[in-house]
Amino acid sequence: MDVAPFISFLTRYWPVFVDGLQITAFVAVLAAPAAFIAGILLVLPAVSGWKGLAAVVRGFVELMRNTPLLVQIYLLYFGLPLLGIFWGAITCGVIAIALQHGAFLSEIVRAGIQSLSVRQWEAGQSIGMRRFAILRLVILPQALIKVTPALGNQLIVLVKDTSLVSAIGVMDLTLTGKVLIERSGMSFEVFIAVALFYLILTTSLGIAARLVETFVARRYA
Amino acid sequence: MFPVLQSNLPYLLQGAVYTVALSAFVVVFGALLGIVVGTIASAAPAPVRWLINAYVFVFRGVPVLVIMFLGFYSFPAVGLRLDAYTAVAISMVVYIGAFVTEAVRGAIAAVPKGQVEAAMSIGMRRIPMLREIIVPQALRLAVAPVLNISLMAIKQTSYASIVGAWELSFAAREVVERTLAAFEIFLGVMIIYFLICYPLSKAAALAEKRFSYVH
Repeated sequence: MDVAPFISFLTRYWPVFVDGLQITAFVAVLAAPAAFIAGILLVLPAVSGWKGLAAVVRGFVELMRNTPLLVQIYLLYFGLPLLGIFWGAITCGVIAIALQHGAFLSEIVRAGIQSLSVRQWEAGQSIGMRRFAILRLVILPQALIKVTPALGNQLIVLVKDTSLVSAIGVMDLTLTGKVLIERSGMSFEVFIAVALFYLILTTSLGIAARLVETFVARRYA
Repeated sequence: MFPVLQSNLPYLLQGAVYTVALSAFVVVFGALLGIVVGTIASAAPAPVRWLINAYVFVFRGVPVLVIMFLGFYSFPAVGLRLDAYTAVAISMVVYIGAFVTEAVRGAIAAVPKGQVEAAMSIGMRRIPMLREIIVPQALRLAVAPVLNISLMAIKQTSYASIVGAWELSFAAREVVERTLAAFEIFLGVMIIYFLICYPLSKAAALAEKRFSYVH
């Protein structure tokens, strides 16, 4: 592959790539906070001692962790209309990504909570705090600080996983690449460019995550 | 109960056989590639290390689906005519290899320095030391991460259906297009994937407990 034709190809289709990149970023920006919230909610029953609910959540988390995201996306996108729920492709994609990554995040947060000393709970109780207040004000903040590096890694995995929404027709970076092949006829170059864009996205996120990590370590550890 | 799933189960299970075969190929050769490259990375001179760093960096930073498309379209571009399976399998081996490389390199770095010093003090050279002392201990440390990477690989073989390789997810979409029973079929397929993946994820959790330390 020559560089000069590749550059001219890039500049020619630049706006198309930028559109795809925006959709990818949009999906990630919606899915990441949703996954985080899901992760916290999924960890609550286990640490709050709600036995029945905790068992159900446990089963759900295991199911999410041991099945492909693609099938989960298909289940929502092709299954929900049968129940009379007609959600768009982006909505289904975001929910599926949030649920699977929420399951993974809940495992990370749980490990963080378990790594804390029981005395943290006892100290809270001794000054008369309720269980939920201890969790919210004492346990969760410390656990989240501990698992900051793992959260950053998971965020990068999430951004890469947004490429799967292309399978249900969302015009993200990946599908843009596929469509561009038909338009430009330059199959190989197109996916080199798509890979480059993803690489830029994940690398800058990686650098940002590293910065947050060092800041958190310095400020709180 | 679930009549559509029942009548299509043999077809789906045939797809599952393809999923397992593709996964086994990818996991075995991806792990081999990663173990070799990861070991080279911790013994080779700087320029080779830079190359390996670049390999790991690029493949870990790009979605596997994009790597699959890249493989699918780039083999014909260099004059190789490969079917979707071969293209996907090769792409995934290289992709998984990058993750295993990183895991093996990390495991080798985690072998305590005292081991290296002890080996040097009895006059072992670099290569025998790697072969006899470091790599065996490092592989023990790498068991759990590699099992987790394998789990990821099995789930990612489903993306091969997007590129056009027939396996469980592809079969599921065919059945749904024919019967419209999306809930039944995709839930059934999720359970099939679960049955394949769950034992492995249990094994990974066990390995994390048993193999995550060196003496």
